[in-house]
Amino acid sequence: MTAEQLPGPSPSRVPSGVRSFWAGISAVSTKELRGRMRGRRAFVVVTIYLLLLSLFAFGVYQLLQENAAMQSRFAFDGGFEGDFPADRFSGSFVSGPVAAEIGHALFSGIVVVQTLLILVLAPAFTSGAISMEREKQTLELLITTPLSTLGMIVGKLFSALAYLFLLVVASIPLMSIVFAFGGVGPEDLLRAYLLLFAMAFGVGAIGLFMSALVGRTQIATVLSYVIVLGLTIGTFAFHTYLVASTPQPDDGGFVPIEERHQAPEALLWLNPLVADLDLICITAPSGSHFTCSYISLITGRPYFGDSFGPRAAPGGMVCRSDGECFPVDEGFIAEDQGQPDVAVGAVAAEEDLGLGFPRDTFWPRTAGAFLALGVALTLLSTQLIAPSRRLRSRRHRSGRAPADGPTSLPAEVQP
Amino acid sequence: MTAAVRTQGLVKRYGRTLAVAGVDLEIAPGEIFGLVGPNGAGKTTTIRMLATLLPPSAGEAEICGFSVQHQPDSVRRVIGYMPDTFGVYDDMRVWEYLDFFARCYGISAARRRQMVGDLLELVDLADKREDYVQALSRGMQQRLCLAHALVHDPQVLLLDEPASGLDPRARAELRELLRELRALGKTIVISSHILPELEELCTAVAIIDRGRVLAAGPVEQIQARFRQGSVARARVLGDTEAILAARRFLAAQPEVASVEVLPDGRLELALPGDEEASAALLSRAVGDGHRLASFAPAASDLEELFLQITAIDEEAAA
Repeated sequence: MTAEQLPGPSPSRVPSGVRSFWAGISAVSTKELRGRMRGRRAFVVVTIYLLLLSLFAFGVYQLLQENAAMQSRFAFDGGFEGDFPADRFSGSFVSGPVAAEIGHALFSGIVVVQTLLILVLAPAFTSGAISMEREKQTLELLITTPLSTLGMIVGKLFSALAYLFLLVVASIPLMSIVFAFGGVGPEDLLRAYLLLFAMAFGVGAIGLFMSALVGRTQIATVLSYVIVLGLTIGTFAFHTYLVASTPQPDDGGFVPIEERHQAPEALLWLNPLVADLDLICITAPSGSHFTCSYISLITGRPYFGDSFGPRAAPGGMVCRSDGECFPVDEGFIAEDQGQPDVAVGAVAAEEDLGLGFPRDTFWPRTAGAFLALGVALTLLSTQLIAPSRRLRSRRHRSGRAPADGPTSLPAEVQP
Repeated sequence: MTAAVRTQGLVKRYGRTLAVAGVDLEIAPGEIFGLVGPNGAGKTTTIRMLATLLPPSAGEAEICGFSVQHQPDSVRRVIGYMPDTFGVYDDMRVWEYLDFFARCYGISAARRRQMVGDLLELVDLADKREDYVQALSRGMQQRLCLAHALVHDPQVLLLDEPASGLDPRARAELRELLRELRALGKTIVISSHILPELEELCTAVAIIDRGRVLAAGPVEQIQARFRQGSVARARVLGDTEAILAARRFLAAQPEVASVEVLPDGRLELALPGDEEASAALLSRAVGDGHRLASFAPAASDLEELFLQITAIDEEAAA
C-alpha cells in the first residue's frame, strides 16, 4: 500500500481514432466473450444444437428415402406417376437423381433451420448489449474511458455474433454430408454461409440498435422480434397482397411473368426466408422446383425449368446439353424475353439452350441489403450512446433541493 | 501553476429546470476538494459534466487545461471517475474487471498484468482476485470501482458520493485510501451530502445548493467567515428535577443564548461564543454541582456551518 506499488504514468499521448477503435473492439469483445464462454454452458449448447440438427437431417433423409421408395414402387406398378418420373429410379434408391433430391432436401432443411436459428438468437444476443449496460449502470464507466463509441458498439456486436457464428460454423461439417448425395456443390455452401453471415449481422444490428434506442432490455428484445416478424411474415404478406391485388388481364390467355410482376421486389430484399427460397431453387436438381416459380414471380424474370437438361452454371454461364457453355448476362434474358411474344421466345430459348434458373438474381440483394442495414444501424447506435445524445433516455435530475434536505438534520427542538 | 479543475459559469439546464446555475470552481493540484450540498443541489450534475458525460448548457470547464466540451478524449485520459451509483458486470472476476478497463485505455498486456496486481494491493482486494465481482460486498465493490478509476493513473479523480452505503468501518478505510492517493499527488474531487465524511478529509470545500456555489475555499476559511456560534448537547445525570435544575442554571449563564430540553432528556444549548466561552461555561456548571455526563457539539462543525449557510441563503431567497 505504498507509492511504489502504484503503476507509473501511463503513456498520455492521445491515440488516433483508429487506435481507440481497435482498443474498443478488443476490450469489449474480450470481456463479453469471457463472460459468454465461461464454463461448460457454451459448449454444451453447441453440442446439443448439433445433435438436434443431426437428428433433423437424419429425419429428412429417412422421410425422403421412404417417399422415394414408395413412389418408385407406384411408378413401377404404373399406377402412380408421382412427382418424380419413373425413369429416374433405375437403380438404388440412394444414388443418382434420388440421392440428389435427398442432398438438396438436406441442404434446404439445414439452411432454413440455421436461418431460423439466426432470426431467433441474434436479437436475443444483441438486444441486451447496450440496455444491460444502462440497467446495470456500467455504461457511464465505459463512456468515461477513451474508447471510441464505434469501437465499443462494433465490439459488442462482434462478440454477440461470435457465438452465433460459432453455432453456424459448427454446422458446416454436418452440412458437408450433402456432398455425399451430390446435387449440391461447395459453391452452393459458400453462397448459403455468405447469406447466413450477412443475415446474422443485419439482424444482430437490429437488436443492437433497439438496445441503444430504448432503455430497457425487455422492450428492446420485444421490439427486435416484432421487426424480425415484420421482415419475414410482414413483407411476405404485404408483397403477396400487392401481387394478388394487381388486376389480371381477363382474356384468359397466357400472361408473361414480367407483366404479372407488379409488386416491388425490394420489399422482399430483407426477407431472410425468401432469400433461402432462392438458394433452395438454384440448388434444386429439378429446375422446376416450386421455389423457383416464387422467386421468378418476385423478380419478374422468367425461367425455363428443365428437369433433365443442363442448367445455368455458376458465373453467369449457360450450358447446352452438349456441354458447350456460353456467358449469359441478365440482359440476355431481358432482351430476348421482354417482347410481347415472350412465350414463343421462351420456348425457343429453352429449346436452344436448355436454360435453367438464372443464378444469383435474388439472394445477393438480400445479403447486400442486410449488410447495408447492419452498417447503418451500427452507426446509428453509435450516435445514440454518444454522451451528447443521451439526454432523452436519462431521467432528469431535479435542480431543486427536495424537502427532506440533508440526511442529518438536527433533531426537532422542543421547549 | 494551472488549476487541476477550473469551471467558469458552468450551467446545466433540463428544460426549464436549472440543475447547475453558474458554478465557478478553481481546484489546485493535489487538493482533496469536497462538493457539499443537499440531495439535488447539483453536485452530481456538476461532476458528470466534468466527467464528460453531460454536455454543459453554458459555461466552461477545464481539467488539467483540457476543455471538457472540446477535448473530451484528452479529459478522459486524465480523469478517473466513480459514479454515485454504479453497477458491476455479472460473470466477471475481480482481476478481469480491472483488466477490462485497462484494455479500454489501451494499456499493454505486460503492464496490465502488473498493474492489476498493484491496484488490488492498493485497495486491499488482492485476496479477492479470482472472486466474482457481484459476489463482493458493497464496500469491496466501492473499492474495486475506485481501483478501476485508477488503471490509467489519472491526475484527477472525480468521486461522486464514494462513501454512500458504506458502513463506518468501510468508510474509514475509504478515507484512508483517499489520503494515500492524495499522498501520491492526485487531485481528488469528492461529493457528499454526509458532511462529517468530508470534514476530516478535505483541504477545501464548496458548499452547493440549488445549483449555485454558496461558499468555497479551505474549510477553516469558510468557518471563520460564517461562524456564528455553535450548538452543544449535554446529558445530565439524575431525575427530571436535576435536569430542570441544570436547565435553569445554564439558561442564566451569559454564554448561553437558549436552552431546550430534548425528548430524550438531553439539553441542547445555543452557544454564540467561541470554545473558550464553552469551556468556562462547562467548568462553572460542574462547579455548581450539576452532574454532566457529556457535553459536546451537537453536530460536526462543517455540518452546522452548512446548515447556517444554506439557511442564510434561504432567507436571502425569501
